[in-house]
Amino acid sequence: MKRSKRIEALDQRAVNKDGFIDEWPEMGFAAMKSPYDPKPSIIVENGIITQLDGKKREDFDFIDQFIADYSIRIDRAEESMAIPSLEIARKIVDIHTSRKEILEIVSGITPAKMVEVINYLNVVEMMMGMQKMRARKVPGNQAHITNLKDDPVQIAADAAEGALRGFSEEETTMGVARYAPFSAMALLIGSQVGRPGVLTQCSAEEATELELGIRGLTTYAETLSVYGTEKVFIDGDDTPYSKAFLNSAYASRGLKVRFTSGAGSEVLMGSSEKKSMLYLECRCLFVTKGAGSQGIQNGSVSCIGVAAGVPAGIREVMGENLVAALLGLECASSNDQSFSNSDMRRTARTMLQFMPGTDFIFSGYAAEPNYDNMFAGSNFDAEDFDDYNVMQRDMQVDGGLRPVTEEDVIHVRREAGKAVQAVFKYLGLTEVTDEQVEAVTYAHGSKDTLKRDVASDLMAADDMLKRGITGIDVVKALAESGFEKLAGNILNMLKQRVIGDYMHTAAILDENFQVMSGVNTPNDYMGPGTGYRVDGKRWEEIKAIPHRINVNEF
Amino acid sequence: MEVNEQLIQAIAKAVVEQLQRNGGKSPAGMSSANAGTQSLAGKTRMRPKHSYEGAVRAKQGTDPKEVVIGVGAAFQTEITKTIGGIPLDEVLRNVKAGIEEEGMVSRVVKVLDTSDVGFMALAAAKLSGSGIGIGIQSKGTTVIHQKDLYPLTNLELFPQAPLMDLTTYRKIGRNAAKYVKGEKVTPIECTNDPMVRAKFQVKAALMHIIETEQLDSEKGMIVWEGAR
Repeated sequence: MKRSKRIEALDQRAVNKDGFIDEWPEMGFAAMKSPYDPKPSIIVENGIITQLDGKKREDFDFIDQFIADYSIRIDRAEESMAIPSLEIARKIVDIHTSRKEILEIVSGITPAKMVEVINYLNVVEMMMGMQKMRARKVPGNQAHITNLKDDPVQIAADAAEGALRGFSEEETTMGVARYAPFSAMALLIGSQVGRPGVLTQCSAEEATELELGIRGLTTYAETLSVYGTEKVFIDGDDTPYSKAFLNSAYASRGLKVRFTSGAGSEVLMGSSEKKSMLYLECRCLFVTKGAGSQGIQNGSVSCIGVAAGVPAGIREVMGENLVAALLGLECASSNDQSFSNSDMRRTARTMLQFMPGTDFIFSGYAAEPNYDNMFAGSNFDAEDFDDYNVMQRDMQVDGGLRPVTEEDVIHVRREAGKAVQAVFKYLGLTEVTDEQVEAVTYAHGSKDTLKRDVASDLMAADDMLKRGITGIDVVKALAESGFEKLAGNILNMLKQRVIGDYMHTAAILDENFQVMSGVNTPNDYMGPGTGYRVDGKRWEEIKAIPHRINVNEF
Repeated sequence: MEVNEQLIQAIAKAVVEQLQRNGGKSPAGMSSANAGTQSLAGKTRMRPKHSYEGAVRAKQGTDPKEVVIGVGAAFQTEITKTIGGIPLDEVLRNVKAGIEEEGMVSRVVKVLDTSDVGFMALAAAKLSGSGIGIGIQSKGTTVIHQKDLYPLTNLELFPQAPLMDLTTYRKIGRNAAKYVKGEKVTPIECTNDPMVRAKFQVKAALMHIIETEQLDSEKGMIVWEGAR
């Protein structure tokens, strides 16, 4: 066939490098609904749910049983289930129905009913729903802080810059898992240089992650994964009950924690039981709620390539974010994983959470160039900072970030590098040279930094765990090395665990370590003239992007 | 609203059926590839089930110099190349060569219990006389594991299979052997392509389905000396 030059040009477009697949419900490639999804139903006998979504109690798998026993308010169930799904969907969009009223109704419905409700909403209605149902009044944002070399000095510098730029939470992970103690410590130090009160976590194998948390080297945890089918749970050596225990383990030490789930994981693991991604994700979110977690990171997350590959996949992603908010959970709404070669497509996907605002619009914006992002690339990275700031300014939307000056960036990066250098020296870990701090201060990514002795670093990191180094040791090291203010900030982060207020739904800390959560600063949106509005000091901050024409010098 | 949606679906279905009857020719000149997507409905497998009749169960190793390589259920049978297009015969040859270059001994088993690469590698490590094992999925994802570690941790993980090359597979063999010898090992440098998910995740899901549908937990881990 003689090729059309138009079609040839289109074939070369970035979007055509993305992976697309037809719907195939038998293998779980179905976003919003599958012909095999159950129909909503509930039977309550003597205060016990004996039938859930068409299944009798004796046929329950452990997810059904967990949901029936812990996730649905039995005293509300019959009344809520009697309300037509269409009516619930309309109430979600109706500005005259309060968030509180909707939370009350939704507390008594089943996962299949939730799927039915969400299927009535188009993406604009979902965004309107999120604007009202988000737990915290002010939206927030979270960064990924990682690099290809697992260089702790760069982690500290990027964490400091990220905190300066406005992120309320920062998450790290490693290329080489055994770097975890260094990564966690460097992130903790760097974050408090950039802006006091930023929460930090280190995504690692669960036992390691818990240990780092207990030691006070992290201030929250996020990677408690739950799944929508029993088989995938078992493959991960887990059950809803074991996750609930793990959740309690963090809570017992006063750490903020949220679960993780998302569309496509069961498909990728080959065990979707022919159900739609939305139905399976609803099961995950009900388990999360039942386990007593305050929140969730969801929105397909690391399986976004699968969700985005099927029709209505991105609608489903927003749909599942909304389900989290409807259940009263804090929602860290993904946008944290690259899924498209097309700049147009990846931006469009993020608008669904950016415009209404979520508790954390990104559950990992790459605050480094994407080649350094060890979560295999985020949807936005450090090279998009100015685009993002301009979008906030264009639409007068609070996306959680702010413009910064080059002087401030260089200052906090150097300060963070020097602090890590001092702590490593004080604790007798591997050497951090002045040259290394200098390179990291001015670096964009790990291509601009010096090489570290990986084998020695790993031995020192193992040793750090063996010696029982904790957050208090970091405070002491800083205080005795001339970083007293920074030591005070980290001590304040450790105090949060004794106070415990930041375990409330959707909590973040301001620069004075005051909690802002869905409890003390709840979202009170009920249409125009209500809820959070971008104005005052915050609006002035958003307006001040770099590269404005200076009229006085024109 | 619901009525409209159903109506649209009904019309779309009728159009698709008409198109299929017309062999792709439609009055509007629209090709059938664009007209709707019901072709996969009802399909329940990717590949027929392979018979492991007469396969020999792999034994617990005693040789302290041994590294066990646990390959995926579809390895060299339903799947012959990694997601990046490298022949699996070559992958295996290079990992084994790497182990032997360091003076250690390799043994290959096929894991029919699980298709999760972390658990595959841990199972291989537990079977290994040295306690060091390597798990390789048929799409190329690889983990070096040690028998005393938690399942979801590892010595080295290579999560981005499309970026792997034969030199890396050889280095994996060498590093696994060095762990056996108790040397101070420098992990193989990480590689990262932030667009890997966009390009490969759907294909990865399909390959994992092919692997998972070949599982046969009754057989467990079997002796594997290449394609049969």
